[in-house]
Amino acid sequence: MSWEFFAYFAIVAVLLWTAGAFAAWRGKTAVAYTATAGGLLVFFSFIVAMWVSLERPPLRTMGETRLWYSFFLPFAGLLVYSRWKYKWVLSFSTLMAVVFVCINIFKPEIHDKTLMPALQSPWFAPHVIVYMFAYALLGAATMMALYLLWKKDERPLPAVDDLVYVGLAFMTIGMLFGSLWAKEAWGHYWTWDPKETWAAITWFSYLIYIHYRQLPAHRPRLALWLLLLCFVLLQMCWWGINYLPSAQATSVHTYSS
Amino acid sequence: MKLWNKPWTLPEGFFIGGALMLVGLLLQLIVGPVEWEVFAWPVNGVIMAALLLLIAAMYGLRKSVYAFLFIGTYQAAIPTMVYAVALTIVMGLTRQTGHGSWLNSMLTFWPFVLIYALVAVILGLVVLRQVRSWAAVGFAIAKFRFSLLFHLGLFVAMTTATLGNADMQRVKMVVSKEQPEWRALDERGNVHEMPLGIQLKKFVMETYEDGSPRRYASEILILTKKEEPTEATVDVNKPVETGGWKIYQYGYDTQMGAQSAISILELVSAPWLPAVYTGIYMMLAGAVCMFVLGGRRKRV
Repeated sequence: MSWEFFAYFAIVAVLLWTAGAFAAWRGKTAVAYTATAGGLLVFFSFIVAMWVSLERPPLRTMGETRLWYSFFLPFAGLLVYSRWKYKWVLSFSTLMAVVFVCINIFKPEIHDKTLMPALQSPWFAPHVIVYMFAYALLGAATMMALYLLWKKDERPLPAVDDLVYVGLAFMTIGMLFGSLWAKEAWGHYWTWDPKETWAAITWFSYLIYIHYRQLPAHRPRLALWLLLLCFVLLQMCWWGINYLPSAQATSVHTYSS
Repeated sequence: MKLWNKPWTLPEGFFIGGALMLVGLLLQLIVGPVEWEVFAWPVNGVIMAALLLLIAAMYGLRKSVYAFLFIGTYQAAIPTMVYAVALTIVMGLTRQTGHGSWLNSMLTFWPFVLIYALVAVILGLVVLRQVRSWAAVGFAIAKFRFSLLFHLGLFVAMTTATLGNADMQRVKMVVSKEQPEWRALDERGNVHEMPLGIQLKKFVMETYEDGSPRRYASEILILTKKEEPTEATVDVNKPVETGGWKIYQYGYDTQMGAQSAISILELVSAPWLPAVYTGIYMMLAGAVCMFVLGGRRKRV
């Protein structure tokens, strides 16, 4: 399996996800589940095939992490849908996944076979996969926040909280796995490397949201805006630092260039 | 509502954090940046004890001193976290070289250090409050709040990591086949006599088809003054532990590649590590609880 087959798998998956999203709108729950799960299966089989043919987990380059993200978005969407039955959530997650699929089709980044020794660790896969899942959940929370801001409706905020709680739980696990790995690979668990600094910023900003929501006298709309800001900071941590002058050539977290 | 009318809320919280940053700024101007080397043992032990005492005293006096009660609330915690995030964003946007202006050395910038110290104090007060209210219900499992694991874990990890940093030693040792090396260089280029010597037996290098390294490792002989020499293989991602030191594969002669006659090892001693890991594992446990219980908790 190689990258050139990606478009075929992706198109089938996206068609299935779209069918699932459409079924959800029409209230056909069973079809929505089946189609979305089918799309996930197709997409995941590509990831597994890449894993086998690369002889390493496809987690190193930005393109490869986007692969996981496009997989986890409909997955998170399906979780939210199964729990709270929002009609629109599968459409949103599908749309987001399509954006990342398109980036990977039109602007794929180097996908070579090599994996440098620093990345050959049992921590590698859990660290990145857990992070990608956290990003997908927090992406779903962001979509809900946008939707609620637009609809001027704050009543479903507890559902947003649930997404943030689970997303933040995964982000914490991803971050701490990263620090335990860093100790094994680089000799120290935390060195304020630009990636780590931005991971701390992102983590703290979501903690602010959670604590702010606990205040009896808080403004729900401000909480939603806060969530959007958190997601902007998360982008900085994920890929923004690759373009940040202060992080250029100083981060030990640059593998794709 | 006027400022400082009880109960205090977010504005008072922002005011307190802002005042602390001003104090930090003054300290920066008067005494200069924070000298972390000063915190080497036993100073860090004394400071840790003083911090714990301070938190206990503040908690004990919370009913007579309103400010101490306030410091442990959401209304104080949120502004402090906002300041911490803002200062960390400054750190993330500037190049941290350790020299130049304070912008390039946030870790020694007093306002940054003091705000994080305030985060630690708040965490300590929250932990005491949570433990007390849990004790009030006889430590019933059903009444356990996973945030306690987060608060305590973060408190332990951040205080011991910060204070223990001055006791951490990271040195590089260039080893060769000719004779055992007993000296190592620290980050400033000072030579240190080590309690262990290392001799390179074999440098191992495997490459991919394009020539980029697939694996590089050192087969070494570790010597101490008392015990018998031991053999070990140090791989990237697989450090070897001996006598309180962890030995890492750091580098090699990249000009020579697989024929490199030397290997560069990094030796790290971090006596406070078990405490930091205790905090990290507590937070991990908290995160797992948060994932399992997150969606099911009752809301007030």
